[in-house]
Amino acid sequence: MSNDVIIVIVVATALLFDFTNGFHDTANVVATSISTHAMPPRIAVAYAAIFNFAGAFISLAVAATVAKDVVDAGVITPTVVFAGLVGAIAWNLATWYFGLPSSSSHALIGGVVGSAFVASGADAVLGDGLVGKVLIPAVVAPVVAFIVGVIAINLVYGIVGRERPGPVNRGFRLGQVLSGGLLALAHGTNDAQKTMGVITLALIANGNLSQDADVPTWVVICAASAISLGTYFGGWRIIRTMGTRIIKMDAAQGFSAQGAGAAVILASSHYGFPLSTTQVISGGVMGAGAGKKLSAVRWGVAGNIVVAWLLTLPAAAIIGGATYGFSQLFGDGAAGPVVISLLAIAAGGFAFVRRLRVGPLPA
Amino acid sequence: MIATVVQTNELLDSVLASVVAGVGVTAVFAILIFAVARSSDLVRDNRPVAAAAAGGLAVVSLAVVTAAIVLGIIVMIQK
Repeated sequence: MSNDVIIVIVVATALLFDFTNGFHDTANVVATSISTHAMPPRIAVAYAAIFNFAGAFISLAVAATVAKDVVDAGVITPTVVFAGLVGAIAWNLATWYFGLPSSSSHALIGGVVGSAFVASGADAVLGDGLVGKVLIPAVVAPVVAFIVGVIAINLVYGIVGRERPGPVNRGFRLGQVLSGGLLALAHGTNDAQKTMGVITLALIANGNLSQDADVPTWVVICAASAISLGTYFGGWRIIRTMGTRIIKMDAAQGFSAQGAGAAVILASSHYGFPLSTTQVISGGVMGAGAGKKLSAVRWGVAGNIVVAWLLTLPAAAIIGGATYGFSQLFGDGAAGPVVISLLAIAAGGFAFVRRLRVGPLPA
Repeated sequence: MIATVVQTNELLDSVLASVVAGVGVTAVFAILIFAVARSSDLVRDNRPVAAAAAGGLAVVSLAVVTAAIVLGIIVMIQK
């Protein structure tokens, strides 16, 4: 009975994380289309939500990496997974509050690694998988997206630079509808799978699935629905940062950035690298800006984003570890996760009421 | 040590595919826009042969972009 309560809490928390992931990362997918007026904002987020949902069904390679290659599934309990998810959600909400496009993926992996470390020691963390499948691709992918963005925008300006701007801008805005859809598909493919991987990990830990089980279909459908709903409700603060504060972009730059991002994410997902779509598209945006003019990139904003990237894994790991330690004060059963869930709901309610009294949050 | 931890071949393949797809598709799409814009200008200038050639380039570019996207999605689905 106690285990059933925990697994229900874990699945609900994982889907909440997936919702915040879609909410937080909507900016990655739609900001460039909105800022170049390729699509109206509401249409852009609805369009991204549909492609996010479809993308979640394309591949399960990343889910397998999260479930099996980062932490030792044999020593993981549902409470460990729950604590990791709390760490990831807390970091996602904190970075959303400050409008920083940090990585939901690394928050999730950091949270789970932190709680696994506190629960079972260093042996629970699969160092090879963490370095080879997460950390190295995390460094390589945004750099590749930046380089692709630089090369692509220079080629584009070389090809259409002497044409009349009217038809060129219309053409690239149309192209952005296409590349935005592809980017949303790539985002759904890469990001929804992380939640699928975590739920699968919890089900394995709870004995509902065998160690070598595939991701159940109901998990795929629930994760796809949660991320697409989150995407539809959209995090407008980060959309502003991503769409206008890094560079002021034209339609060609928007198309190049989205193309670079989609290519890197789809290629990486194919090989099961759970990289950060936020980092990749930020790299593409910076590349498309720097390729036109180095000073066009607001390097101060870019620097803040890089700091958030660097902090994400350790910060989420610390919160995840602390949450696990706190839950253990109430024993091994469901009491810890239940108390933490109630505290989180109370904190959420307090923040909501405070916001109603104070008015909108600062932009 | 690092080489054994990092799946070097997969990472390099992933980087290569990203560069080829990202740069290639963007460049071909730019050629498509160039060809469409040039074709309409040539029609306006009463140069039908050159306009048809530009139109042909646009059709080929569109076919390449479509094929690249479909191929990318097929590769993803088959994984």
